[in-house]
Amino acid sequence: MKLEGVAAFLTGGASGLGAASARVLAEAGAKVALLDRDMALAEPLAKELGGVAIECDVANHESLSAAVEQACQAIGPPRIAINFAGIDVSRKITSRSQGAHPIESLQRQIDINVIGTLDGCALFAERMMDLEPFEDGERGVLINIASGAAFNGPPGQSAYAASKRAVAGATLPLARDLAPYGIRVMTIAPGFFKTPLAETVDAKHTDKLISMVPFPKRWGDPREIGELVKHICQNRMLNGETIQIDGAMR
Amino acid sequence: MNIQGVAAVVTGGASGIGAGVVRILAQAGAKIAILDRNIELAETLAKEVGGVAVACDVAKDDSVQKAFAAAQEKNGAARILVNCAGIDTARKIASHKTGAHAIGPMQRVIDVNLVGTLSCCAHASTAMLDLEVLDDDGERGVLINIASIAAFNAPNGQSVYAASKAGVVGATLPLARDLAHYGIRVVTIAPGLFDTPLAGTMDDKLTGQLLRRTLFPKRKGRPEEIGALVQHICENQMLNASTIRIDAGFF
Repeated sequence: MKLEGVAAFLTGGASGLGAASARVLAEAGAKVALLDRDMALAEPLAKELGGVAIECDVANHESLSAAVEQACQAIGPPRIAINFAGIDVSRKITSRSQGAHPIESLQRQIDINVIGTLDGCALFAERMMDLEPFEDGERGVLINIASGAAFNGPPGQSAYAASKRAVAGATLPLARDLAPYGIRVMTIAPGFFKTPLAETVDAKHTDKLISMVPFPKRWGDPREIGELVKHICQNRMLNGETIQIDGAMR
Repeated sequence: MNIQGVAAVVTGGASGIGAGVVRILAQAGAKIAILDRNIELAETLAKEVGGVAVACDVAKDDSVQKAFAAAQEKNGAARILVNCAGIDTARKIASHKTGAHAIGPMQRVIDVNLVGTLSCCAHASTAMLDLEVLDDDGERGVLINIASIAAFNAPNGQSVYAASKAGVVGATLPLARDLAHYGIRVVTIAPGLFDTPLAGTMDDKLTGQLLRRTLFPKRKGRPEEIGALVQHICENQMLNASTIRIDAGFF
């Protein structure tokens, strides 16, 4: 798909990987809608990129549904939709010092990362289905964000890893559901990237994590996710696949 | 890595996916060496893209060694290697009609697709070890191997081909681990059905069957689409040790 002039919706688009991808897509000529809980971050970025900021909690169906409607009104229905919104509730499943991981936290982890992503796919794809097809009959592309933890999760990340593996697991059936409409579905599984989410990890742990990355031995730059997003949008033969981008950290 | 002015070796670069990769990398400014058994095709394409053609049978180590030396003499040591050389022998492992799969073609497919890929990785990366690093991260080069979705989901008659390509997928992570220390990345691409001479050997019935199992777009891929992915892999440094399927959703 050519990016010039197409509408791209990004949940969690106000910061981290989402913000960097919004920037790359906007530079390539896309109109961006940033669907985020944090309007204080979303609004200045949207202004800078000539896009729109829309308040949205992806774990709340009414909120997401209203945000999609509002984004369609503002910049037209999406050709590109990316589910970046995610949280990480790192905590061991149980331990002597902390006890059992509370159900509210488990539920919140799954609601945002899994249900939020699936509901996003449902609502975004619904808006893509009746659009005029491009070359090959392509109507749109959905991109979901999993994590290296989906395949190789560290201690304390059982709920996060489960949520991200679920996103990776949904990729193929989503692509199967939407192929008749010319909508592709791809998932990106990032390793260790310099995002607000990753920065919540304490410095000692960070150094240890970076020492585990074979090459390049550094945090990933969110812009590198943006560039991969752009390539996925442009390369139609990519469909139904999860791409690990992690400097070989396995 | 910025591709402009960098030397790239593409094995099997004279036709099919290799030729698509050659064209895209050349457009991006790489100095191309095409290593291929078919020197006539290789020379024609090399002329088109301003690169060099070197005769090479990747299954023969002395041939590989000589070809890399010749390529290096012309273009300097390569920072990019793309292993596209590959063959297929569509034949059931045993059947009443054809008997046991003969050892000769079995050996040849493994030698070309698997041993050839590993041997080219060995020679190319050895030449990269002493190159200047390109940036603060210490990147020296990137090896890209072409596997196949047959590595994950192959039709009947492809046990040997699938084994050879699964071997390439399996080698990717330990290759990346071996070479990370030197700033050399290793990424594998697993293409689905592409418009290549190799795919052209399949009859229309099989092609139709395979396209029916393709989600979207329902067509053969174009070699240039692999080329574009190769270019992205070269340029995106965080991609390492991954195998990327590019198959329009083939399952």
